Amino acid sequence: MNTVMQPGDLQAAPPAVRSESRRSWAAVFALARFEARDLLRYAVVLVTLFVYVGYTLWGLLSEREGMDAFPALQNVDRGTQTAPLLLGIALLVCVNRATLRSRRRDTDRHFDVLVMEPWRRTVAHVLSVVPFAILTALVVLGEFTWQALRPGAVGHGSVAELAVGPLTVLLCGALGVLMARLVPVVFAAPVLVIGLFTFSVFLSAGTGDAEWSRWLAPVVGETSSEALPSDLMGRPAAWHALYLIGLVLLPALGAVLVGGGRAWPLKAGLAGALALALTGAVAQSGGVSAELTAARERATDSPEKEQSCVREGASTYCAFPEWTGRAATWAETVERVQSLAGGSAAKQRLLVRQRIDATYGLSGDSALATSTTPHQVTVGTRWGGNRVPEFASAVASVLVAGDETKAGELCDGRMVTVMWLAVGGADTPLTELRNVRLDDALAGSAIVLTPTNPLSMSAGQTAVVVDLLKRPRAEVTAAVKDHWKELTAPGVTTAQVARVLGAEVPEESDDCEA
Amino acid sequence: MRGGDVETGRGDEGGRRGRRVRGVSGALVPAVGRTVPWRALGAGAVVGLLLVALPRLLSVEPDPWLSLNLLRAAVLAFALGLAFLLDDPARHLTTPVTTRRWVRTGLRVAWVVPPAALWWTAALALVPEKVRPPVGSVTLEAGATAVFALAAAAMAVRFGNEPESGPTVAAGVLTTAVLAQVLLPDRWSLFVATGDPRWEAAHERWALVLALAALVWGACGPEPVRRGFRFLRRRPTAADPSAA
Repeated sequence: MNTVMQPGDLQAAPPAVRSESRRSWAAVFALARFEARDLLRYAVVLVTLFVYVGYTLWGLLSEREGMDAFPALQNVDRGTQTAPLLLGIALLVCVNRATLRSRRRDTDRHFDVLVMEPWRRTVAHVLSVVPFAILTALVVLGEFTWQALRPGAVGHGSVAELAVGPLTVLLCGALGVLMARLVPVVFAAPVLVIGLFTFSVFLSAGTGDAEWSRWLAPVVGETSSEALPSDLMGRPAAWHALYLIGLVLLPALGAVLVGGGRAWPLKAGLAGALALALTGAVAQSGGVSAELTAARERATDSPEKEQSCVREGASTYCAFPEWTGRAATWAETVERVQSLAGGSAAKQRLLVRQRIDATYGLSGDSALATSTTPHQVTVGTRWGGNRVPEFASAVASVLVAGDETKAGELCDGRMVTVMWLAVGGADTPLTELRNVRLDDALAGSAIVLTPTNPLSMSAGQTAVVVDLLKRPRAEVTAAVKDHWKELTAPGVTTAQVARVLGAEVPEESDDCEA
Repeated sequence: MRGGDVETGRGDEGGRRGRRVRGVSGALVPAVGRTVPWRALGAGAVVGLLLVALPRLLSVEPDPWLSLNLLRAAVLAFALGLAFLLDDPARHLTTPVTTRRWVRTGLRVAWVVPPAALWWTAALALVPEKVRPPVGSVTLEAGATAVFALAAAAMAVRFGNEPESGPTVAAGVLTTAVLAQVLLPDRWSLFVATGDPRWEAAHERWALVLALAALVWGACGPEPVRRGFRFLRRRPTAADPSAA
């Protein structure tokens, strides 16, 4: 105390105060870093993190279904939303425990003598979830990028839909901290999870899936697995993301308030968060607007007004703007089918038109009506796997019968030619035939799926087609081309077709002869 | 030394052991009753009943699917309460007590069984009769879930050094339930709907879960000879604020 105060010392004082405040925030971040690292030491968090990342990777790397190679990005972004909930549940419980640790270990009173206020400790606990949200965001982004880079990908993703996963993780963490501050007992959080989960299920079931209650849940799924053009989906994704941001901030700031924070910016922030959440909740519950309904009707009833057409080979392919890039892929199948046909059908110019039923949006699947326009074939929005032989069957049936409506009424021997054209040129014809039939069998009568109304095969026709597919391809192709007129004449019986092509003649007669 | 005393004492006690267990048990019953974590159990039970009663409270027409899943959620809530049953704040002091651990654990369970049975009856009674799932089958599910939680709690005691391992066990049980729902492939699914053709097969699997959980519980009953696996053990020190 023998130093003399210099005027300069007084001037140096204000910076010292500022650095103090900066240091206390640095301490908060340091504590948040420590807590985040500590969360990793809970077995539950580690296991769910491992399962989440592993499950995502497995979903990307395993080609369970041929359709996986042709993703529609407006559905892919939504597909990233559910899995983070798993990590979120684990984090909710563990962040809650971490927040209550000082209480359980009876170190609260030691903290009281420290410089850091209790509410800053709460902030640190809330912030400790952020690294996990960032990790989730990286996984989500990686998943989406991987899918977007597939050669068969079409459509557009939405940032708002992609943000739901990381925001859900943040929400769970913030709820865990708030729960710890409101009900400081360790058994509250797990029970809260069950309560919340059941309540959300109950709310949507109890209100008959009303639009407002459906969108209150963090993750909102759809019943339809169809892909629609992005502008017809009618998902208020951006409003929902805003709602979620408000919903994350509410418990986060609420926990700090309960934890002893009394600053006015905190209260203002809480009010802002409430406003955000309410705005989002109100805006997202608007339902389907009149313009959207009109646009959906237009796309369903007169798709030609919305579509652009490209020429590939002899045929024309008309598709919604997001799908035009797929025309070359469709053309491969059309050319494969046509290369097996004879007569005028081999040169026939087809119009392949993409059609959708967007009347109910994504809330339900409905079958497409067949078209009556000659030489027009319908293709759906999905591709790959079983969708390929389904489309091939439609192309073959139009080549043989003239249009889709007549094709649906085929019951005579021409059905053999249709199925030969549809799968005869494939790499694994018998597998494709099995896949395209509803019963997945190679014997007996069955329904054959197409993008529109199904075709039907009798047991006799099935036996002849299977017989043909087992013989050398060149031999059967030549026989079909030579006898094309005979094979595609209306009323030809399956027995006649079998005799012409040299297959075993079935005993039973065709359905329409009976 | 804490675990060692009981184990080394086993040899020379010989025939007296049985008598002592009988003699002590009488006085032990109310004492153990006081150590049962009634608050955690009560919270689980109340939340469970609330879940089952939700359709009644909100006067919504329940359907069989909703009732079944509400019952399952209620059972899980109760099981999360049960996960705290073996919590013993004085664990390090009760270890050298001559009454064996399985006797004390058994007493705690005995205290809980009557209220649990009563709770389950109430939960079932809250489901309207026409949407109530087959009672035998859901009781099997409930029993398996409860024993699974108890087995997890017993494992935490057997292999851990933590006096109150309830939160860890509850987090584990909850995560297992969620993961089982998500990850089990269709042919091994446990959570099937009432009208599903896999109902019978699923309940054979539930019986298997019950049997396995009971075995694990039985195996984890005795006091550990040495505390914990070396790699799982964490010595709480003053310098380690994370020892939760």
